[in-house]
Amino acid sequence: NLMGARLAGSHVDTQEPKTNPLVSISDEPETLYKRLSLLVKGHDKAVLDSYEYFAVLAAKELGISVEKVDKPPKTIERFTLLKSVHIYKKHRVQYEMRTHYVCLELKYLTSSTAAVYLEYVQRNLPEGVAMEVKKTKIERIPEHIKKPVWDTLPQVEEAEVKS
Amino acid sequence: PLSPQTRAARVRVGKGDKPVTYEQAHPPHYIAHRKGWLSLHTGNLHGEAGAAERAVEDSFLRRFMFGTFPGLLVDEVVLKRRGNLLVVCALLARALPPNKIYFLVGYAETLLSHFYKCPVRLELQTVPARVVYKYL
Repeated sequence: NLMGARLAGSHVDTQEPKTNPLVSISDEPETLYKRLSLLVKGHDKAVLDSYEYFAVLAAKELGISVEKVDKPPKTIERFTLLKSVHIYKKHRVQYEMRTHYVCLELKYLTSSTAAVYLEYVQRNLPEGVAMEVKKTKIERIPEHIKKPVWDTLPQVEEAEVKS
Repeated sequence: PLSPQTRAARVRVGKGDKPVTYEQAHPPHYIAHRKGWLSLHTGNLHGEAGAAERAVEDSFLRRFMFGTFPGLLVDEVVLKRRGNLLVVCALLARALPPNKIYFLVGYAETLLSHFYKCPVRLELQTVPARVVYKYL
């Protein structure tokens, strides 16, 4: 019975190619990104370290070149409040909130690669961690800037100077 | 340098008969060193908004959990926010039969999802008794 099922399934491939409904192929040229910069912020350094390892591993598996992994210094936001409800101005409490950062820079991506990588990495973002993404696009130089303006002016001025 | 007169979130030393969990035994200056956070969200990060709303939601959720599982909560409730999803993690004692606990879980999840308009997931673990770290 199992053999019959396998044969019945296999002849479908020879008649028509299997098209994955999730993959779409379009003819328009893809936008290229020179640099994709991910800034990840969190309160816990250990969580950020493990997330950085995960993101770098994911980039390597997808074949994306990692430019550099930067660790900007932490920002500490401190404030001093009164300890008591009513009086006692001399006795205060101090709180602080520490934010650690990790900056990942990836270079030379296409829009579809960037979409896939960002979706994967953002779905697995741990709780308590925020991410900011900055993309640098590459565009062709517009036609009207390519040649300097003084080359395109007509040659009428030379005749006027001579006369 | 801490003064010995601070009384914030500390269990005072007594005769030695008071059981105390790991969470209760450590005062708040151990938070990033020996303790973790009970509620994880991005509201308190530098340049992020929404900390007050999360705090209000957290206090409501803790009271709600304390009420729906009367006498069953062993340790504090841990809240995690991943995108839109709210994950509530709790440790329960094995005092009720599992059927009643399933009903309470379903009730809590549907009620909270309708109240906060976001998917709420409850992740529970049962423990035979309260896990004591030391006696104070």
